[in-house]
Amino acid sequence: MFGGILMKAVILAAGEGKRLRPLTVSEPKVMIPVANRPILEYIVDALVKNNISEIVMVVGYRKERIMSHFEDGKKYGANIEYVFQDKQLGNGHALYCAKGRVSGSFLVLAGDNIVDAQAVADLLSSSVCPSALVVESENPSKYGVVTIEKGTIRGVVEKPQDIVSNIILTGFCCLKDSIFNVIERCINSGEYGLSHALKSTLNNQPIAPVFSDGLWIDAVYPWDLLELNAAALENANVKTAGKIEKNVTITGPVSIGEETVIRAGTTIYGPVMIGEGCDIGPNVTVFPSTSIGDNVTIEPYTMVKNSILMSNTSIAAHSYLSHCVFGYGVKGKSHLMGAGAEAYVNVGDEFFKVPHMGSIVGEDTEFGTGVIVEPGTIVGAGCKVSSGAKITRNLPNRSLVT
Amino acid sequence: MCGIVGYVGPKEAQPILIDCLKRLEYRGYDSAGIAIGGDEINVYKTEGEIAVLEAGMPQMPGVVGIAHTRWATQGRPTTENAHPFQGCEKGVAVVHNGIISNFMELRESLAGDGHNFSSETDTEVFAHLVEAELKEDSDLLETVRIALKRVEGTYAFAVVAPGRPEVVAARNESPLVIGVGNGENFLASDVTALLKYTNRIIYVQDGETVRITKDSVTIMDADGAEVKRAPERIAWSLEDAEKGGYPHFMLKEIFEQPAAIHDSFLGRIDAVEGDEPFLDGGSFSSVKIVACGTSYNAGLVGKYIIEELARVPVTVQISSEYRYSAAARENPLVVLITQSGETLDTIAAAREATKRGNRTLAIVNVTGSAITREVDHVIYTRAGPEIGVAATKTFVTQLVALYLLAIELGTMGRTLTAQAKRSIVGQLRNLPRSVQDVLNQAGTIEAMAQKYSGARDMFFIGRNLQYPIAMEGALKTKEISYIHGEGYPAGELKHGPLALLSKDTPVVAIVTNDRTYEKMIANISEVSARGSPVIAIADANDTEIIKYADDVIFLRETPSLFSPVPVIVALQLWAYHLAKARGCPIDKPRNIAKTVTVE
Repeated sequence: MFGGILMKAVILAAGEGKRLRPLTVSEPKVMIPVANRPILEYIVDALVKNNISEIVMVVGYRKERIMSHFEDGKKYGANIEYVFQDKQLGNGHALYCAKGRVSGSFLVLAGDNIVDAQAVADLLSSSVCPSALVVESENPSKYGVVTIEKGTIRGVVEKPQDIVSNIILTGFCCLKDSIFNVIERCINSGEYGLSHALKSTLNNQPIAPVFSDGLWIDAVYPWDLLELNAAALENANVKTAGKIEKNVTITGPVSIGEETVIRAGTTIYGPVMIGEGCDIGPNVTVFPSTSIGDNVTIEPYTMVKNSILMSNTSIAAHSYLSHCVFGYGVKGKSHLMGAGAEAYVNVGDEFFKVPHMGSIVGEDTEFGTGVIVEPGTIVGAGCKVSSGAKITRNLPNRSLVT
Repeated sequence: MCGIVGYVGPKEAQPILIDCLKRLEYRGYDSAGIAIGGDEINVYKTEGEIAVLEAGMPQMPGVVGIAHTRWATQGRPTTENAHPFQGCEKGVAVVHNGIISNFMELRESLAGDGHNFSSETDTEVFAHLVEAELKEDSDLLETVRIALKRVEGTYAFAVVAPGRPEVVAARNESPLVIGVGNGENFLASDVTALLKYTNRIIYVQDGETVRITKDSVTIMDADGAEVKRAPERIAWSLEDAEKGGYPHFMLKEIFEQPAAIHDSFLGRIDAVEGDEPFLDGGSFSSVKIVACGTSYNAGLVGKYIIEELARVPVTVQISSEYRYSAAARENPLVVLITQSGETLDTIAAAREATKRGNRTLAIVNVTGSAITREVDHVIYTRAGPEIGVAATKTFVTQLVALYLLAIELGTMGRTLTAQAKRSIVGQLRNLPRSVQDVLNQAGTIEAMAQKYSGARDMFFIGRNLQYPIAMEGALKTKEISYIHGEGYPAGELKHGPLALLSKDTPVVAIVTNDRTYEKMIANISEVSARGSPVIAIADANDTEIIKYADDVIFLRETPSLFSPVPVIVALQLWAYHLAKARGCPIDKPRNIAKTVTVE
């Protein structure tokens, strides 16, 4: 570990994550739960497992949610210091906010990319700094693509239209504090991105590419969360508490939190994670790869599969949810239909064909009885949808549907 | 009202004492002092907060010591009146939290014996008293125990004497705990002072005198018989009490409220089957709620909640006034609300209620605190440690406890049907979301508070459940921003306070959409007619309100029984940002302390 010197890590967690709207209404993307833990927690865990406990977190958008969760980091075996980025100008600028808090070599991680302990270990074991984790991507045009010659990174091309290579920069790297001078020059010339700064160092200082067999997943779009959730559930620790009534069938790894009640006749196929204080059943069916937060109510004859239901949601009787992400406090009256299918999804100005997706619903939205939400629709936060409505296109926050 | 700490061990006592003392700063901070034992006792004390003490004090070698942070009750906050105190011969040093009520008598008697006093305080008397009794070969614990026989009042004392590797302490009605370490032992007014060093705690009880040395703890009861008591392990960690990135504990605690509310009802509201009852049966013809400060305001909200759900008459009384109210309805349930469980006025009221033969129930945050030993039943609010002097999360969790109590009383008295209970419980489960929605608007509230932060006076009005919330909003505003805030039932404005309104007195009106709405609009119009700016707190779907108010904080609709909770969170943020804009010391407002252990 770099001659036995313990390194600090800087986690960039200031951005909102606009492409995940409306799930980011009250918390930044990095705090969105997968398998009932915020994305950022997985990163902190991966660092701590590699004995990196001195962490500087750059926070900005809805920073209170991060600080209330992690506090000073002791709960996670880390020592977390916060720096504030008041305006989210870019990730280079975010890193620049940590100037003076780190010296020598240090790690930089994007708070919204899940890495596992293996990926961190691989970057550390390369023993070269600067170095950067690179991965092969099926869709390189979304990222900074690198060209590698003689074992070092020769160039970085941002979001290339033509095929340069399929190896992309992950944003997880080891840097030296001289980078702050480079970023400062870039900022002065109006460039706030970190990859721009890295590109300008290439002339004087080679960056070593590091490949890893570890996990690196980037959550950009809402449907990525379901994939992330499914992957996280495979590795989650199973712990069973709460009260399980008679005639409940549970197979596979199923976690049940304190004070949760699973009522008679309910069937749960793991991997499934259920938080604390929930009230589920009687006669509810939960299929694999589903995460249910705290204080969630699911009433009789409802079926949920491959979905994320965040804390405080309640789904009434006879509902069907598949491949859905429901934000905090969503309320559905009975017969809510949120089926999943192949769908064309509109995010910002872009359209995507997603092989299997249900609906994404922002926090505190309320559905009346018998609402149908078509596959691939994104319903904003705080909407009110009256009984019998059929939602066929995206709704902005606080929409009223009569 | 003060904080005391003591240490005996193998390490240098001075830095440890100062470190522990800093965690008691919430108990008082107008003067502070330290005494380190050895062949002679070395004392340093000063006016001002602990930081002033720390900056001014010399290095004081020694492994035994006591220290004190003061909130003046008897005698002004000056260096002379700071603790520790010594006798004429400097034969002891004493720190004290509490009040010696017969000190004038003792002082005259000691002056008659030729003792000279250097301060105006009651505490100094005790130093002289112990010194007069202490002989070279006598036991310090025994001497203190004998001296205490002459003392009336409330106290936690800690005493050191030259050439003795021990600290002796005693408690009567003021909090005192022993921290048990490895080869070292500690004393403090409060567990939080010691958590960095140990989580093994012994609670000292009233009438007990204790001795700590580096490897022993001795506890004697009032009759001189030895008491054996094993330490308890405290689950709160020190980290729970750290600020974690927030500029103030108060803001951190405001943002912790959705989680605190969740914890406070977790596992206690199984809507379909029976609950774990707080009271084991019985019926009550009335309820009397007794509390002080913010807890009193929670009690006022509780009155409306219990009357609505359980249909029994509820009266609410200030703790220190309870003993004067002789009128006794038959068989009331007496509910005592205190965050710390150490508030002396409320403990005294609990004893009085027991004496009157009433069933008592305490709503309290701190596990194992003094009041829990005085009452028949306890509901813990589970808010976790609250460090900011202004109560925030402890207030909203007190409200949750009152909702739970009202649901139970309603079920017991059959005024709440199973179906109605299910619906109320469903609404309670939604509370964390309503609070989160307010927190999401912190930025808007901050901008609005900045605009009005120049005000000298501010009024808060509401009706029904929102009237006590107006009082609590005014209390928060006074205590941390130093703006003179007054809370009124909106209907009372025309009976006097209207005369005080002008264009310089902003009025915060709580106008949630319930049966009070039309009357509140009429009250706002009375206010605007006097030229006062109106800041309304209204429901998000209220499209009319903007015609009547200058500024509006829109909150998402919450069923009216539960709307006090999001509204008070908005007012906490309002008070916080007023104080911040005015540059006030938010976590440590002048002249007030968190746990008031004097009457």
